[in-house]
Amino acid sequence: MKSKYLILLLTALGIMGYCFSLADKSALAQSQDAEALKEIQAPTSEKEFPVPLRPLPKTITPCRACHGPEKDFPVNFKRREDLLVHTNIRLNHGGIRLWCLDCHHPDNRNYLLPLSDGKVIEFEQSYLLCGKCHGTIYRDWRDGIHGKRTGSWNGVKNYYLCVTCHDPHNPKFKPMAPMPPPKKPWTPVEVQARH
Amino acid sequence: MRHKKSSESGSSPGNRPPTDLENSSIKKTNSELLDRRTFMAGAASVLGMFAVSSCSWQEFIQNNFQRMTKEEIEQTVERLRKEYKEKYGKDFVVGTEGPLEATLFGYALDIQRCIGCRKCVYACVEENNQSRDPQIQYIRVLRFKDGDMDLEHSTIYYDPEEVPEDGYYYMPVQCQHCANAPCTKVCPVRATWTERDGIVVVDYNWCIGCRYCMAACPYMGRWFNFAEPVIPAESINTVTHYLGNRPRMKNVVEKCTFCIQRVRVGKYPACVEVCPVGARKFGNLLDPDSEISKIIRNKRVFRLKSELNTQPKFYYFFAT
Ligand code: HEC
Ligand code: HEC
Ligand code: HEC
Ligand code: HEC
Repeated sequence: MKSKYLILLLTALGIMGYCFSLADKSALAQSQDAEALKEIQAPTSEKEFPVPLRPLPKTITPCRACHGPEKDFPVNFKRREDLLVHTNIRLNHGGIRLWCLDCHHPDNRNYLLPLSDGKVIEFEQSYLLCGKCHGTIYRDWRDGIHGKRTGSWNGVKNYYLCVTCHDPHNPKFKPMAPMPPPKKPWTPVEVQARH
Repeated sequence: MRHKKSSESGSSPGNRPPTDLENSSIKKTNSELLDRRTFMAGAASVLGMFAVSSCSWQEFIQNNFQRMTKEEIEQTVERLRKEYKEKYGKDFVVGTEGPLEATLFGYALDIQRCIGCRKCVYACVEENNQSRDPQIQYIRVLRFKDGDMDLEHSTIYYDPEEVPEDGYYYMPVQCQHCANAPCTKVCPVRATWTERDGIVVVDYNWCIGCRYCMAACPYMGRWFNFAEPVIPAESINTVTHYLGNRPRMKNVVEKCTFCIQRVRVGKYPACVEVCPVGARKFGNLLDPDSEISKIIRNKRVFRLKSELNTQPKFYYFFAT
């Protein structure tokens, strides 16, 4: 039942992606953005959006350097607090229910866990991963309701990825300092007192 | 005028008695529908206006933007560019792009997502060349206690270390671009009107500064230049539109135009682009696939003071 639904969804996305690629080609060619063009010219079932590529920190990639078949640290599914490496990561996502290997591919750390069609998810498409557990939000995001797009309301849009706003390891949106309040206008004292 | 709250006249900053000129022109235009240009020209010669006025004679005889010929528009744009160059030492673009076909602009704001950071307020000020002193800000961010919808209990002066604050929610308010806009109806000289794409605009050169529109607006979406606007030359935005963010002068009313200079060339308004939480949505109401249409179709939406039948094209929505 579930996989049937997903296949349907993916087909629909694929068609959408194809349409996107047709519509966006000319505008992108103008922008000389070779990287983005390359991505759009290869429409696959997953790459339906002209999303920005978000490189992982260079120091840590490729994951295979340590997690590869030669080095082969034992895969450890046990939830534990203090990892020997990756100390910058303090997992705070979904309470104690979630562990690294609910998202990261245990046998190939260069990828995220596959969709139900068996295709692994690349880091650049982490939104597909998020969509597996946050389906409603993912659909809203795809429709431009959750999250944010910039660019052109009637043309090429830039999508903000889930991970642009949410650290996957600690996804709660971070509070921020507000900009200064407006100056109070000159008003009679009794009106001012209301505020 | 019906919507005018008694407190409003008291709280508007610096209630300045109207000058003789404004006073008489209002009465005249109301009572005998005298053509403004004839009247102004007459008044000018009688009062010796040229002697005391800083404005050029071209500006003085300039027509309402809606009635200008292509040639007149070009001349006006040239004159304005010269004027701005003199004042700010920069080359301006003064666009006059018209509405796009089959376009009706709408706006939606996710009230659950907004964190009250006011980034939109300042992006708007910079994009739209609002006066820094006296301060004009098209967007007011209201803070409410959770569960309280009473505008009278809200504040715009909150200033905590960090937002969002527990127990509060935020509601930015700006011009609602009403489909049935009371402000445009009360203008005695038709200096403000609704464009075909739904944007409510002001012809600053035609505005006589009577502020009827401000009294008629139930959303406090209009602002008056009580003094000569002050904008540092280094922060002026030189990409402007005649009906939008070109520099304004003293004694005229201004307002949000959905960033007409941006949206008419396909860009999102500045407030949409800057919102860090993505609470602000903008698009074409006539396109069923636009973000805004999907929101109106699929989410719970409401409009401010809908009981007044102003029919805003600015929707607030709940994402969940
Ligand atoms: C410098 C070598 C190194 C690199 C590069 C590296 N890792 Fe690791 N990683 C380790 C070691 C060692 C552990 C086991 C730590 C422990 O058990 O305390 C680990 C543990 C993990 C775990 C926890 C689950 C498990 O199997 O123990 C995940 C998930 C993980 N790494 C993902 C990645 C990803 C994704 C990348 C690439 C972006 C990456 N790692 C790159 C060394 C590395
Ligand atoms: C909710 C899914 C999820 C979980 C759980 C998760 N990750 Fe990740 N992780 C991601 C995603 C998505 C990225 C890519 C982030 C990006 O594109 O910026 C990533 C990136 C990384 C990276 C490379 C970038 C960096 O921040 O250094 C490492 C290393 C990593 N994860 C390790 C771990 C470890 C170790 C754990 C467990 C303690 C873990 N992850 C748990 C989703 C997850
Ligand atoms: C394996 C399932 C799973 C995946 C994959 C996953 N999440 Fe979650 N996420 C959860 C669970 C469970 C919660 C906790 C929900 C709750 O408490 O109601 C959660 C909570 C969240 C929250 C709310 C956090 C808070 O404290 O308010 C955000 C934001 C979030 N996830 C973003 C993401 C993003 C972004 C991704 C993709 C990088 C992602 N999630 C991938 C399971 C997942
Ligand atoms: C423009 C930034 C932005 C983007 C992009 C974004 N989110 Fe969010 N998201 C938010 C904000 C802001 C909240 C409210 C968070 C809060 O109050 O902590 C939120 C809340 C959430 C929540 C918590 C549930 C809720 O409704 O409050 C989840 C889960 C979530 N986002 C998942 C995602 C996923 C999955 C994606 C990508 C498909 C995504 N987000 C993209 C900004 C973003």
